[in-house]
Amino acid sequence: MPEITQAQIAEMLCEQLASFAENEMVISAETNLITQLAIDSVKLLNLVMEIEDYFDISVPLNTLVDVLTVQDLANLIYKIKSASK
Amino acid sequence: MSSTITKLVTPLKEEADSLLSASKPLTATPTTNRLIRRKADFSTLIEALEYAAQGETGYNFYDSKGNLKSVIPYKFLRERALTVAKKLAGFGLPRHSRVALIADTTPAFVELFFACRYAGLVPFAMPVPVNLGSHAIYVQQLRGMLESSQASLALAELDFVGFLEEATAGLRNAEFKWCGTPQQLEQLPEIDVEQSANTPNETAYLQFTSGSTRLPRGVVITERALMSNLRGIVCDGLDIREGDRCASWLPFYHDMGLVGLVMAPLAAQLSVDYLATRDFAIRPLQWLRLISRNRCTIAFSQPFGLKLCMMRARESDLQELDLSCWRAAGVGAEMIRIDVLKNFAAKFASAGFNESAFLPCYGLAESTLAVSFPGVGQGARSLCVDTKTLIERKVAVQVQADGRKFNEFVNCGRPLAEHKIKIIGENGDELPPMMVGSILVKGSSVMTGYFNNSVETAKVVKAGGWLDTGDIGFLHEGDLYVTGRRTDVIIVNGRNIRAQDVEELAEQQPEVRTREASAFGISDENGSTSVVLVVESRLSSADDRQLLINRLQQVIYMAFGVNCLVELVHPHTLPRTSSGKLSRFAARQGFLQRNNFEKLSSKTAVQ
Repeated sequence: MPEITQAQIAEMLCEQLASFAENEMVISAETNLITQLAIDSVKLLNLVMEIEDYFDISVPLNTLVDVLTVQDLANLIYKIKSASK
Repeated sequence: MSSTITKLVTPLKEEADSLLSASKPLTATPTTNRLIRRKADFSTLIEALEYAAQGETGYNFYDSKGNLKSVIPYKFLRERALTVAKKLAGFGLPRHSRVALIADTTPAFVELFFACRYAGLVPFAMPVPVNLGSHAIYVQQLRGMLESSQASLALAELDFVGFLEEATAGLRNAEFKWCGTPQQLEQLPEIDVEQSANTPNETAYLQFTSGSTRLPRGVVITERALMSNLRGIVCDGLDIREGDRCASWLPFYHDMGLVGLVMAPLAAQLSVDYLATRDFAIRPLQWLRLISRNRCTIAFSQPFGLKLCMMRARESDLQELDLSCWRAAGVGAEMIRIDVLKNFAAKFASAGFNESAFLPCYGLAESTLAVSFPGVGQGARSLCVDTKTLIERKVAVQVQADGRKFNEFVNCGRPLAEHKIKIIGENGDELPPMMVGSILVKGSSVMTGYFNNSVETAKVVKAGGWLDTGDIGFLHEGDLYVTGRRTDVIIVNGRNIRAQDVEELAEQQPEVRTREASAFGISDENGSTSVVLVVESRLSSADDRQLLINRLQQVIYMAFGVNCLVELVHPHTLPRTSSGKLSRFAARQGFLQRNNFEKLSSKTAVQ
């Protein structure tokens, strides 16, 4: 996979997360995954699975505890992706 | 102590490493053992390990792709635990000092757990963090357990040790000595100390039952209680036989995972194949593939785990699975709905799953783990009882005529040997069969109490040694049927959430006064439960109200990983008892009425 930036990851996440949103809410990098998207544990697992498959990474559990927004998640993926090279 | 630690950073003994990194591929421990089977007839856990170590069986750990990662035969576990025990001895702790372990599904956890027992120390497992944004609350939960247990040591693997360091930073325990990773412990010198053998009356470990930050309760389990329960599981519950092998994804910090799938297999010298909980949750079929590939016969799950498997299984997956070997499919840890079992059986029948393998059981950490099991091979049986009579008269009457509304309850079997179950009414009198009331348990695996907490202990351990389980149900022909939980525990997707803990979090918000928040669960027709929080609020601006709702939802999510319905109501709306205490039951009724959930109210009134 060619070099991918945090902004590109965030953009892709926004697209993916559209399926979680209610009534055509616009998702941006600042969207709060908990209060605005209501990601519960089942949705979270689905999301992690999709992220792992798509980016070919493994997301450790301990890293999710500091994730609140789409941007936080994008930063995390970027960090794992860069570290795994 | 810290000076000794830094001084002694010597190269490790190479043996352990070379064993694992040997060039030949790993082979899982065998199912068949040359050792003559002993069925948990030991007086202590260490005695059980000493015996199992004479054979070839043991624990196997798999990664998320299903590849074998580490193999720990009981023989090796014994050696490792003895070595680590000598390192623990260097701390010079008094016997029975508590050792906190963050319990990821790893060989290091089991080695440490048994090392503690060799060293005369009392280990307890703490959960790994799982929720988005939960950092601060998770650290608080750890600190709560460390303080409540008055722990002397705390260990976690590299991924999690940072949380432990934060949690121990402001710790008030005078007895706290050290926090670190298993690798750091490994670098300490081995100290030979003559340990007296463990005895049945000694505490074997503590089991924490809730992630409450203010009032965590550590169940005290003695060697005697543990061995009694293991005997019950191995002999009465599972009827262990030749060819048995276990597979498990259950967390090691959960009683069903630790007692049922770590200690029980050891006590019967069985091999176990482990998948980390996280890996199961993301790819649940890996568990079924392990069962199929290794011909496992025993595997337990919460109903929620079975649901996850159903949600993810595709036709192509079914073709590659052969689950015909699975003879004991234990189900427990939350209310069991027969539909979940029927659907699972229907889905996986083509993969060879036999529904007579279902083993719906009942238990709780306060009674070590298991309380009742149905007969092996009988499958899940259930009873359809008339809804109206159940609600109005609290009697379970089997439905006769078509067209009557009914509730179907799963038969959770009979109590283990050395155990009794009774149902009592509100006035404390024992009720006859078919009458619904509180489930009480008495027997040799009931806890001695909550650690250092006689107030909480007195609330549940009643006269004559009867343990009030907090669950509601009835007996029929000697079998237990659980009809629901009391309102103080909400179970969402297999997680136990104490209503009090949710209310506490709400009351920590500056806008919320104490005793002005009430939490409870509501279930929809499919049986999924949601957490509801009703808060009395004086805020008038719509923006402020929305901000408070958002913040409450966020902190509750961080703490428990669930979405919560928050309703703000006027002051004095929440119903109180004569003593001024909030009534969750009445708060729930009020919520259902205000929001036109009348139908739900009758449906769930029995729960």
